[in-house]
Amino acid sequence: MSREEQLRKRAKELLAKKEVVMVICYRAGKRPGTATPAFVTRPDGADSLVFDDRCGMNLAAYLPRVKHLGRIAVVAKGCDSRSLVTLLKEKQVTRDQLLILGVGCEGVKEKGKLSDACATCAYPNPVICDEMIGEKVTEPPPAPDPLADFEKLTPDERWQVLADDVSRCIRCYACRQVCPNCYCPTCFVDTNSPQWVGKTTAESDNMMFHLMRAMHMAGRCVECGSCSRGCPMGIDLMRFNRKVAKIVKERFGATAGLVPDEPPALAAFDPGDKQEFIQ
Amino acid sequence: MKAFILSAEELGRLVTEWAKSGAVYAPVKVKDWSEFRRISSLAEADLTRVNTKLSARSLLFPQCETMFRFETSHPDKAQLAAEPVPQVILGVRPCDAAGIAVLDKFFAGQGETDTFYRRRRDKTILVGLACQVPDDTCFCTAVGGSPAGTRGLDLLLTDIGGHYVAEPLTERGEAAVKDMNEAAAADLAKKDELASKATAAMAERIDTRKLKELLDTADTNPVWGELSLPCVNCGACTFVCPTCHCFDITDETRKDKGARIRVWDTCQSCMYSQHASGHNPRLAPAARFRNRTMDKFRYTVDQVGEVSCVGCGRCIRECPAGIDIRETVERLMLALGEQSADAMQTADCKMQKAK
Repeated sequence: MSREEQLRKRAKELLAKKEVVMVICYRAGKRPGTATPAFVTRPDGADSLVFDDRCGMNLAAYLPRVKHLGRIAVVAKGCDSRSLVTLLKEKQVTRDQLLILGVGCEGVKEKGKLSDACATCAYPNPVICDEMIGEKVTEPPPAPDPLADFEKLTPDERWQVLADDVSRCIRCYACRQVCPNCYCPTCFVDTNSPQWVGKTTAESDNMMFHLMRAMHMAGRCVECGSCSRGCPMGIDLMRFNRKVAKIVKERFGATAGLVPDEPPALAAFDPGDKQEFIQ
Repeated sequence: MKAFILSAEELGRLVTEWAKSGAVYAPVKVKDWSEFRRISSLAEADLTRVNTKLSARSLLFPQCETMFRFETSHPDKAQLAAEPVPQVILGVRPCDAAGIAVLDKFFAGQGETDTFYRRRRDKTILVGLACQVPDDTCFCTAVGGSPAGTRGLDLLLTDIGGHYVAEPLTERGEAAVKDMNEAAAADLAKKDELASKATAAMAERIDTRKLKELLDTADTNPVWGELSLPCVNCGACTFVCPTCHCFDITDETRKDKGARIRVWDTCQSCMYSQHASGHNPRLAPAARFRNRTMDKFRYTVDQVGEVSCVGCGRCIRECPAGIDIRETVERLMLALGEQSADAMQTADCKMQKAK
């Protein structure tokens, strides 16, 4: 039985036996080569489910919206499972609300090419799951540091690279909305009394949004790349996330989304933490 | 009006001429897409792609626009933003031009008009470019358009292979090309042949005629809960749309000087419908998703007498969740067409909680 057949069979069983109220997976999009998240609540709906390299959306992003319905089965590749860990750590969802159907992932494609985030993925298999659908995939060798070129630049040059990139931002917030970490009831950019961040697309407003968002990702972002893939303007949002994740790793030895019981890196204090910045 | 024929060189000379007396905008290659940018010569333009990333709407209704500047100590001395410069927008695809015709109805139609839009619109010449090979996201023919549609344009160009047939549609359009040679019968026949070919190549055959009637009684239909589930309520579809025209107004002040700026807004944001009282009538994500679909195919029909989707396909291309408005329409037609009046009583727009 192919992995897809197994997936459909298992989803159908879970719904028929009422073990879950919903299975979140993907189905083929109308355009060839695309897939869209699917939310199946009836056993016969499981026949359209797919999982392959078209399935880039991080499905963990939908949990805060549907968890009130009951126990949810989520199909999770490596990055989705790490986002689930982040949600568990941050108490946005409880373990018994989830049934995690793990799938190994060889990277998702964008316009026929391997997604940039997937090129440096170190966790292609789910880090937590209740059951695996299909086999695990081989762990890839460590990828070269994608920030190497960026970090060779002077601070002024780096600023210019970031400014050029975010100058295209149209503030549609697709990056925020597809992000499993962005579950705040009111985002800092949406408050208007006081108005923390300007609403225009001027460099200062765009940069403020992206830098603040990056800060909010520290110790939490699992580098799934959903934001970069979702950005209609092709902004390299992963550059911000990778840099922040790298700093958290260097300073606190922490990697986001691996161990549910560990507190989030920035919510924990250790006397050994480097804190020369307050000396 | 009679049609003219232009060689690529002649079009190039026209562009250079136009650039002397105003701004000329045309699709220019950016990364792996194209965007409208100011050009000074035709060589900078890339007329090969079907649609630009953002529609031509941003040249008439920019994302951020200073309306006036003020001083808090002299409230009577507000200064209106400077008059815009005349502009020619070259390479507008027929769907985008139809989108501008829809915007005209909202901002420059009968009765009240929008000063800032009107000023730009009055000084704009729209030079269209007929489509020949549709993208897999194109569906203009399903919403009353055509790959060679002329609506909203001053002039339509059709590339007949090294030469362009130029059809003036307004006096402004005619004035722009009147010194060129008249197109021969063979040129016009070639243009018509290309237009029929392009129309035949449009794969999309969805029929939206009954949709308005079905949507009129679909406010509380449970289908919205289901259809909206993949939607994450970002504003990508609304910002790339040629007809979306909602805006927010914000003041930026420093000490006693300030500017009143309007910026694009999106009905997908929960702030869009937030009341000062704290109540939000459209907090449920499904309700926001419903609003956009209803707006395109029902509300604007009531307001200005036509559907406000022009089939450009941008929302399909840019949706991070892969939502396809053609499929949404198909599924709506199916679900609503099958519903009896009794079954429509359940309000289930609260299937998802607000994010």
